[in-house]
Amino acid sequence: MFKKILLATTGSPASFGAARVAFDMAKRYGSEVTIFHVVGVPTKAFSHVVNDVRTGEEVEVDEEYLAWVEEELKTTFAKQFEGADNAKIVLTTGVPAREILREARKADSDLVVMAASSGENASFHKGYPGSTLQKVAKAARCPVLSVHRESASYWGGFSNILFGTDFSKQAESAFKFALSTARELDCDLTIFHALDISGKVLDQNEIEENLIIARKRIRETYVPLMGDFKNYDIEVWEGTPYVEIVKLAREKSVDLVCLAHHTNELDPERARIGSTVEQVILRANCPVVSVSKPDKV
Amino acid sequence: MPQGELCNRKPIVTDEQLKLTLSDKSGKKYYAEMLELDVDTNALWATIQKTMKARLKTWLEICAHCGMCADSCFLYQVNDCVPEQVPSYKIQSTLGHIVKKKGNVDNEFMRHCMKVAWSQCTCCNRCGMYCPHGIDMGVMFSYLRGLLYSQGFVPWELKIGSGMHRVYRAQMDVTTEDWVETCEWMAEETEEEWPGLTIPVDKQDAEIMYTCNAREPKHYPEDLAEAAVLFHVAGTNWTVPSEGWEQTSLSMFAGDWECCKDNVNHVYDAIERLNPARVTGTECGHAHRATVIEGPYWAGREDGLPPKPYIHYVEWLAEALREGKLKIDPAKRIKEPVTLQDSCNYVRNQGLKDVTREIISYIVEPGYFVEMAPNKEHNYCCGGGGGFNGIGMYREQRNVALRKKMDQILDTGCKLVIAPCHNCWDAIRDLEEEYEIGIRWSFLKPLIIGMLDIPEGMRVEW
Repeated sequence: MFKKILLATTGSPASFGAARVAFDMAKRYGSEVTIFHVVGVPTKAFSHVVNDVRTGEEVEVDEEYLAWVEEELKTTFAKQFEGADNAKIVLTTGVPAREILREARKADSDLVVMAASSGENASFHKGYPGSTLQKVAKAARCPVLSVHRESASYWGGFSNILFGTDFSKQAESAFKFALSTARELDCDLTIFHALDISGKVLDQNEIEENLIIARKRIRETYVPLMGDFKNYDIEVWEGTPYVEIVKLAREKSVDLVCLAHHTNELDPERARIGSTVEQVILRANCPVVSVSKPDKV
Repeated sequence: MPQGELCNRKPIVTDEQLKLTLSDKSGKKYYAEMLELDVDTNALWATIQKTMKARLKTWLEICAHCGMCADSCFLYQVNDCVPEQVPSYKIQSTLGHIVKKKGNVDNEFMRHCMKVAWSQCTCCNRCGMYCPHGIDMGVMFSYLRGLLYSQGFVPWELKIGSGMHRVYRAQMDVTTEDWVETCEWMAEETEEEWPGLTIPVDKQDAEIMYTCNAREPKHYPEDLAEAAVLFHVAGTNWTVPSEGWEQTSLSMFAGDWECCKDNVNHVYDAIERLNPARVTGTECGHAHRATVIEGPYWAGREDGLPPKPYIHYVEWLAEALREGKLKIDPAKRIKEPVTLQDSCNYVRNQGLKDVTREIISYIVEPGYFVEMAPNKEHNYCCGGGGGFNGIGMYREQRNVALRKKMDQILDTGCKLVIAPCHNCWDAIRDLEEEYEIGIRWSFLKPLIIGMLDIPEGMRVEW
């Protein structure tokens, strides 16, 4: 199911975690991994001049420059390249999010792996998923896996998957992805709903009632879809959804969190992934995969 | 020395030659070859005799050197009012000299002319409005560029630009397959939120045929998606042609006359093939000038018009808003000081000054629109017109040229600039990068989509 992995990277330390996960997956599951790097956004009115992603300086894209960038990437990921038979580097120019989406579509990628942000201006960017991830997550047809922190619990394979649901339409796709991954890789799957009580004043009976309802809803919605798959359990907690997801992920030593992507913002510049997914990406100890479309699940 | 390998009198007509020229970093070899390029003086004079018609001859003759054009030129203004930047001087000392010498000029002079033609005039045609005789230096410089191009004295990027048009029939290497694929891609990406949205390719007898700027499918395909959203919401029966979709003409800036004709015929063929009621293009000024204003003459159309009514995007948009096909939610109107960049190419060249302001009246809360001074047909070039934006060799001069627009924008006190022209948009972005005055800039499409009052059920909320 992860035949083709597209690792979108700037080559900066911020993406090392993502690279490690992508290469580990490729080695473990025999996937083909494409290291995809956008050398820069075309400056001004002509496309063969770009701002280099590292230095920010204007450079002309010629064979010499491309060869240099390729060499840099090979050196950066030298360790990962060892033993990765099915890896290649693809370079292009353009607007990063657009080009990642273009490549994923062209190559019919099964999974896009990327860092949450480029890590530039750390003080500002570290706390937010970058606009590239936002845009890619919104429009990609395939699941988008992001790695924000060097994972503590992730040791290179998936064995515990946490699927968080809000019962939306998109969550169905995310569930399908979580289930098929769990099936294929023989993982435990936790189906989780966090009853959002943030900022609300509820009495204990009401909370408990709602927890029962949610549990019932999970059973009715997802259990019939699982057939003979038995390695699952159901959890319903109350609280602030992202906090509860992160807590549960830690408690269960989860190595993949799977969530649906939401946004109703049209302007891709302002489009947010959805506050829960965003916060989980930033805080979780393991890779987080965002699924927004029913394809590739 | 005769012709160089890269710099020569022949246009780029093959992909191989195009790639070879592109691989010459910054045109280093190209410009080195240009130093040695010989001038075919006989051919130059023969071209002048054949192509220089009464209007240009008269203009060169009757210029009274009164200097009234000086202040009309923003390049004169931002370059410390040096006499070398007076429009009449610029043209008399270049084209005027070549004609006086009957084409008998040397390499050095031709290189001088190239510099003047591409770094001291953006063909914005403003001087023509202030000349007591109506002499338009912009038109004359366009003509001079043609002469220079025919002799191989053209900036490297524009030689490539017109080569792109010849090889790919687009200003960038976007093939027919790439284009159709992009239409499918954008429809796929957009239809989920906008059920029923399609980007129909090659549909016969549509209400509107849409053409665009190759930069959009190449780097910013969301612009096409945005156009699709607005056509969809307005209930327009529209289409894009699989061939003849590229409306721009870098060949016009390069002075490659033959290619200009070929470009525009390609679009006209699409119109005749698909038979739409009308045609509209993207938010681009020079594309409109090339295809709608000048194009009919290049194509030799006797009525001076494209095969079907061909309106600029601002005209389509104003009409859709006026007729209520697109409704603006008053609560979402712009409520901050905002100004408008008038594009020389469709405002001065086609008089579309009021229709852009009509759009403003729908989308900006009354009291928040601030005019630049001067404005409408008196407005100044963005600073990067006529190909200036794209020429690396003259980047420094272009950055100086941006200062006029910067001052105009600063004087309005606005932080938001609406620029319904691709080139102006680029120039304003560049001026922000260069001078960091803290402004934002936008095309109309994304602004309008953000403030639409969308009919129930038309858009799926996520």
